[in-house]
Amino acid sequence: MAKVIFGVWDGNVIDNRRRRIFDIEEHPGFRSFDEFNPGNPIKAFLGGHGFFIFEKGVNLLDAALQYMARVARESCGKCTPCRVGTQIIKSKLEGLTNGNRNPQLLDEIEAIAEHVRDTSLCGLGQTSTVALLEMLEYFREELLKEIAAEREPQQHCTTYVSSPCIEACPSKVDVPRYIDYVKDGKFTHSLGVILQKYPMAATCGRVCVRFCEMACRRTQVDEAVGIKVLKRFVADHERFVSNEWFSSSLIHEKKSDDLKVAVVGTGPAGISAAYHLLLRGYRVDVYEANTVPGGMAATGIPNYRLPKDILRQEVGIIETLGGRIFYGKRLGRHFTLKNLAAEGYPAIFLGLGAHGGKTLEIDGEDLSLKGYEFGVNLLLHINHDYIDNGIPMDLGERMVVVGGGNVAMDCVRSALRMGVKEVHLVYRRSRREMPADHEEIEAAEKEGVIFHLLTHPRRIIVENGRVKGVELIKMKLGELDESGRKSVVPDEGSEFTLETDYLVPAIGQQVDLSFATPDDGVALTKKGLIAVDSNTLMTNRKGIFAGGDCVTGPATLVQAMAQGHKAARCIDDYLTYGRVQFFPEDRMSRLVADTQPLIRKGVSIPIKNEYRVKIKELDPEVRKKMFEEVEKPISVEEAYHEAARCMRCYRVYSVITEQ
Amino acid sequence: MIAYINGKEVEFGTNETILSAAARHGHFIPTLCEMADIAHAPGTCRVCLVDIKRRNDPGHYVVTSCTTPLEEGMEVLTRTPAVRKKQRLQVELLLADHHQNCAVCIRHGNCELQDIAQFVGLQQSRYHYPHFYRQRSRDDSSAAVARDMRKCIRCLRCVTVCREIQGTDVLVITEKGLATEISVRDGLPLGDSDCVSCGQCILVCPVGALAEKDDTETVIDSLYDPNVLTVFQFAPAVRIALGEEFMLPPGTNVEGQIITALKRLGADVVLDTNFTADLVIMEEGTELLKRIRDEDVLPMFTSCCPGWVNFAEKNFPELRPHISTTRSPQQCLGSMAKTYLAEKMRVDPKQMRVISIMPCTAKKEEALRPEFVRSGMADVDVVLTTREFARLLKREGIHLGELEPSRYDDPWMGEYSGAAAIFGTTGGVMEAAIRTVHQVVTGKELERIELSEIRGFDNIREARIDLGEELGEVKVAVAHSLKAARQLVEAIQAGEAVYHFVEVMACPGGCMGGGGQPRSKKAYQASWQARQQAIYGIDRERPIRQSHNNPLIGKIYADFLREPLSHRSHQLLHTHYRDRKRIVRHTMEEIWKEIGERG
Repeated sequence: MAKVIFGVWDGNVIDNRRRRIFDIEEHPGFRSFDEFNPGNPIKAFLGGHGFFIFEKGVNLLDAALQYMARVARESCGKCTPCRVGTQIIKSKLEGLTNGNRNPQLLDEIEAIAEHVRDTSLCGLGQTSTVALLEMLEYFREELLKEIAAEREPQQHCTTYVSSPCIEACPSKVDVPRYIDYVKDGKFTHSLGVILQKYPMAATCGRVCVRFCEMACRRTQVDEAVGIKVLKRFVADHERFVSNEWFSSSLIHEKKSDDLKVAVVGTGPAGISAAYHLLLRGYRVDVYEANTVPGGMAATGIPNYRLPKDILRQEVGIIETLGGRIFYGKRLGRHFTLKNLAAEGYPAIFLGLGAHGGKTLEIDGEDLSLKGYEFGVNLLLHINHDYIDNGIPMDLGERMVVVGGGNVAMDCVRSALRMGVKEVHLVYRRSRREMPADHEEIEAAEKEGVIFHLLTHPRRIIVENGRVKGVELIKMKLGELDESGRKSVVPDEGSEFTLETDYLVPAIGQQVDLSFATPDDGVALTKKGLIAVDSNTLMTNRKGIFAGGDCVTGPATLVQAMAQGHKAARCIDDYLTYGRVQFFPEDRMSRLVADTQPLIRKGVSIPIKNEYRVKIKELDPEVRKKMFEEVEKPISVEEAYHEAARCMRCYRVYSVITEQ
Repeated sequence: MIAYINGKEVEFGTNETILSAAARHGHFIPTLCEMADIAHAPGTCRVCLVDIKRRNDPGHYVVTSCTTPLEEGMEVLTRTPAVRKKQRLQVELLLADHHQNCAVCIRHGNCELQDIAQFVGLQQSRYHYPHFYRQRSRDDSSAAVARDMRKCIRCLRCVTVCREIQGTDVLVITEKGLATEISVRDGLPLGDSDCVSCGQCILVCPVGALAEKDDTETVIDSLYDPNVLTVFQFAPAVRIALGEEFMLPPGTNVEGQIITALKRLGADVVLDTNFTADLVIMEEGTELLKRIRDEDVLPMFTSCCPGWVNFAEKNFPELRPHISTTRSPQQCLGSMAKTYLAEKMRVDPKQMRVISIMPCTAKKEEALRPEFVRSGMADVDVVLTTREFARLLKREGIHLGELEPSRYDDPWMGEYSGAAAIFGTTGGVMEAAIRTVHQVVTGKELERIELSEIRGFDNIREARIDLGEELGEVKVAVAHSLKAARQLVEAIQAGEAVYHFVEVMACPGGCMGGGGQPRSKKAYQASWQARQQAIYGIDRERPIRQSHNNPLIGKIYADFLREPLSHRSHQLLHTHYRDRKRIVRHTMEEIWKEIGERG
């Protein structure tokens, strides 16, 4: 726990300069501020709300200069005060450190800094001089002392620029930046920002769950910026040339051939890992159990949300970059981890996914029953056997799907498109608790799915080895449980029966554990997931890394891609240095998260409402009969308008450290 | 809803900005980047600051009035000392990264940045850092538009006009911080880009960052060269706009004064582009009838607007067979002057310099097209925009308002019809063509000369014209602004719209709103109505209102061209078009390099 010598945050002043170090109480808000990385103490922290000094002898003037230099470099250059004001402040601070040491310059700096804070257009400018102004207001004498001391600054400073949407994104995509490029009219550059993080931009632009939009500060004005739809827009805009952008010439430094990596799985985690390893110059071989690439994105997401040619094209980038993909190779059946080791892969990445279904644990349940199928398997059959290979399927007249997540929504909506006449959705809690995207829930309703909320199956009615119906019971709300949601308990006596040809449990997935033999010795968690070190993503087996759903349990596309990216970085470190190195950006991100509780809810100044672009959709009556993509692309004009809604909530942070 | 500005009650609507309500109620707030008539309020200049106090908050905040909506009970103060001080500092900061060579700037005397400095009462300019602007680019690659980004104040008006009014979307924003500038898509020089040279961006630029390529010096060279015979022509839309540069009311017709001024400048021959507008109608009208009768490629598009021709060649090269092969009136005048007129006057065309005065920047580029240069001799030698012509007159000490009007005296090309006069407005070429085509087909003059259904300012207008028994009804359409043109072309290509004849003018309003016309401060097209009224007024006053009734048109066919679409007119009055579609592919390597350099 760090001790604050002095500092100001949102106008709250801490001044312990006259106290002895051992008298100063440790501040619980700074639990993680002792060290930046092991053996490297944090001496000062500066951000958009203020600054803290943790050690005596910090050169405040230099800290301010380094911070403002980053601000001046980050200014987007559109509004006057930030573009010009931050530059003038920077050059005057430079003067104070090494030239014109006239203390009166502080007055001039203060006037411009106030002006920048009060009149800048976006969040970056509005917060860029807050720390400096607080220094000037409350600790001016420290600055004056520093000017008089004429010290040569020798401070090590790390700066970091981020925003709520970036911090919310598992892949840390620079969202305001790609939106800026849309505003600038440079769509390829916008896509370039996304492609720095993962290759599946058009895919993510369609199916992402949008942690970024939940964090978007525009919601305080009207509605979140359409971050996802802009991503799809830029990805689609030049999608037919996307493979032309890449070539193996993009790889600057080829690693030696013996440093090859095996990636198991072409899902979002595997593809992302392969992509970043290829860009780092490694030879990458990818093994895929299925005959098509994409993992859960291919088998689990229906065509009407993610047309398969788009996914295939994006996976194609791996091959353009020189990666090899071997299809129809299932780990544990066609080859083993031991085989891979024998083939000389010094590092292996497991991105196996969680493709196994979960049973309902009710009477009459039997995996061999006709008409009983897990949601993930149903989607696999529809997407793969029916759509890709044209194998006919008969799903009967009536179907009951159990669950409230996106897989359940995908099942009910796909069933309608397969011609099932009556599709029921059974969910044990209320609508508010459904984990599926609300857009998905609404779409399912519009298409005519019959919802049974606060309802749960009791028993499967079987006849001649076939599902004939399901007995359901109403649930009622009970006490709050540990997840903060109200628990539900069966309302005895409310049982009723639905006749059905199909019963589809979609209440979760698990890892198919047949990939490993006992002598592979890959450790698992209690939940049946692959156990990894959260910092390095390495399993208990040296050189074997894992990520995505097989590590986290069923999660989202963007989380899996983030894990793939992280694994690539860790594998690169492992193959280069023998161990995973410290990654300053991750550390800064942690520090930023830790300062969030300190932020006082600011004054709100009204901002003109500009409502979010309405995405055109196929008519529910038409679309429910086919697998064509439901959401239509937005126009260039709409994209410009949507991009203009971004408030650029960038904040600049810096730490002064020992080394 | 009610709020208060400087203590006075104002009514306002939902989501209405302070600036908008203040303007409606007569409270002046200085602004720079904002342009209300194109709904442009990017909030970048940050000058329009005001003090607000919300109903349930004791605090006072300084905000920009262009982006802040009024609220019930809000109290707005526009002139507090703090607000005025901040506005002054803002303009001081704007000047700090602006290349202040005001005395030699092309926008001298018409600069909105200078205005704003005065409005906010700026009395000092403390920050001079030449390295702030020196790194930014200048681009003289285009024959029409000169860019000097050292003067750009990032109001983004040009971007809005290029994107939203024209739909050409050629301008992009590059770099960040002080290096931020408006650039051309794909990093190309403007002259090699998809820019169509319409010059609409110049009309809205508040400073001298965007301007016409100035050619007045070349004209002065010719005027004072005793071995050169100068032949001047000026377009229909020049006479009703030039007066604005000399403080005359918009829409004042100064045709006679222009003739006097040119004579006083020492012009040897003064002609009117209207004469060849009549000639164009004869050729183009005949071409249209031939296409209809031969069931050839239809619809036919007009070809007199070089901005539109550029746009079509660069975006819809497949449309080339649809564009009338008839040259524009400017080019027809050039070729007739250097053949027919030279012959009549018995002078060597090599000694002639044809100098046009045009409402248009794209005409500068049109004159340079290789199609219009015969054996090393251009048909039109120099093109001045209306603004440059005003500059030339001022440089030569001529004040237009003080001149007595004169009349044309050229016996061969000095006459025009009312049909030619309306070429200066959107819909005019179409109306003129119909007057003649109707007579040619039916043998009768159109009873209703003025076609109200294709007049007005709707971006796309259409009409059906009855051409009698032989051809029946023809469908025509008129589009102005390239955004409307694109919309119309796409509808035609999709089979949603069927026409025989389509007029396209690149500039909103047609030539009268051209990129070379006098500009208004703080407004995009302030003089539209007055200019159009003046053009229709000229038509009404003309004794002859149809091109085919112009006696000198009869004479030029009798003496020289024989008949429309004759061999000679094919050589001298028709042209062809090129495929100029550009496909640029960037590699991710390049893109990432640029992104990396930015961050």
